[in-house]
Amino acid sequence: MGVTCVSQMPVAEGKSVQQTVELLTRKLEMLGAEKQGTFCVDCETYHTAASTLGSQGQAGKLMYVMHNSEYPLSCFALFENGPCLIADTNFDVLMVKLKGFFQSAKASKIETRGTRYQYCDFLVKVGTVTMGPSARGISVEVEYGPCVVASDCWNLLLEFLQSFLGSHTPGAPAVFGNRHDAVYGPADTMAQYMELFNKIRKQQQVPVAGIR
Amino acid sequence: MADVLSVGVNLEAFAQAISAIQALRSSVSRVFDCLKDGMRNKETLEGREKAFIAHFQDNLHSVNRDLNELERLSNLVGKPSENHPLHNSGLLSLDPVQDKTPLYSQLLQAYKWSNKLQYHAGLASGLLNQQSLKRSANQMGVSAKRRPKAQPTTLVLPPQYVDDVISRIDRMFPEMSIHLSRPNGTSAMLLVTLGKVLKVIVVMRSLFIDRTIVKGYNENVYTEDGKLDIWSKSNYQVFQKVTDHATTALLHYQLPQMPDVVVRSFMPCTPPLPIPVPRQPPIRSPPLGAVPLDFSASSLRDPASPHHHQRLASAPLPVLATTGVR
Repeated sequence: MGVTCVSQMPVAEGKSVQQTVELLTRKLEMLGAEKQGTFCVDCETYHTAASTLGSQGQAGKLMYVMHNSEYPLSCFALFENGPCLIADTNFDVLMVKLKGFFQSAKASKIETRGTRYQYCDFLVKVGTVTMGPSARGISVEVEYGPCVVASDCWNLLLEFLQSFLGSHTPGAPAVFGNRHDAVYGPADTMAQYMELFNKIRKQQQVPVAGIR
Repeated sequence: MADVLSVGVNLEAFAQAISAIQALRSSVSRVFDCLKDGMRNKETLEGREKAFIAHFQDNLHSVNRDLNELERLSNLVGKPSENHPLHNSGLLSLDPVQDKTPLYSQLLQAYKWSNKLQYHAGLASGLLNQQSLKRSANQMGVSAKRRPKAQPTTLVLPPQYVDDVISRIDRMFPEMSIHLSRPNGTSAMLLVTLGKVLKVIVVMRSLFIDRTIVKGYNENVYTEDGKLDIWSKSNYQVFQKVTDHATTALLHYQLPQMPDVVVRSFMPCTPPLPIPVPRQPPIRSPPLGAVPLDFSASSLRDPASPHHHQRLASAPLPVLATTGVR
């Protein structure tokens, strides 16, 4: 697991999501990246059931249960600013049993699917974020395998992102800022995805015609 | 030169002989034409017969003349030279079926190729011999009789000594930790961990460094059995490149008599302590001060992906730069 940066690519003017993804993948292929299959990251939201809230009336916390095809045998459970649990796939079944404590929010499943490219030591994944049947945005994830300390290779990642994203290059993700010399792990990637999904969920009220 | 002259004579005589043959053929056919035509119409029978015989005789004389001419010329042409330089392979070129079995042309190509190969191999061996990579203590050219019979003493060192040297070097650098193990007999295997960037497996033979493999910090260095995996390469191209540089470094620093100096210089380093200077650095290998700084120097010169490696040099390894060589 190397340092990963997840960002959103805004849809190009006058084009659909599909066409923008097409543009991006074509740029990557011209750069020399090889296609290596597909990937999928999905996320379901649960909130703490009312019965456990007690008399303080604190707001229910949201818990996100995510899967990543890069780690097919694992399941990630995270809170907004809290700890992240990495469990195996039986965790999904466990959530069913915990219905009393955690209830799934309706129509909350959001996922991104797309192709995976390999370029030297970089792994690039370009995916379409969909919520239900509609495409909501584009996610771009770049991983630099050899390095595990975020602060060391941020500049390299930035330069690589600039080479194919151009002006849409993001700033340093929040997770990088927190710990400077700590080893980067998959939990940090899932935290970045969670933020991305939340942002897309909030920004969504684009008219339906614009998406198709 | 003599060959050319004799060929010239042959060619002229050949041309003349060919025209002589044509003359002979035409005179022979005139004879038969005369016979076919028979006697011409004349006043008396004797006249006709005489004319016919005279004509016939003329034709036969001309045939005779032409034949003699041809014989004379054929003597001039002579035999083809016995000593043609191609010997048996030249006879292959006379085979007319070129498409099915292009033997002669393939033979020529194979010959030219093997000549070129020999020439290049000669050049390469000349260049390689200039930079000898033999790490033995004996000099070249000493005859077998004068070579000392005893084993070089630097190869047989007590393992305790090796352990001491390694632990001394371990204490020299704060960011670097060396773990020594001996899973396969007496040769030491070092697992050097450099900050949070990379791990190096160094296989030693008493105090000589035999091989190195550089892998990423997150890569697995153990086999399924739990032993140190000394053979598999890194998954990342960056570290494969670094492995190449590290191997060049270990070949560059050679002092058969004082291997502990070598090991000290190999690690990111203070200058080698005792006075004797290591042998002239080979022309090919990059000027190495230390393994980590080596990344920036030679990576910049890498033509394949200069952009990629140039960035690599500055960005992921500031930790090592501080570990430093001063």
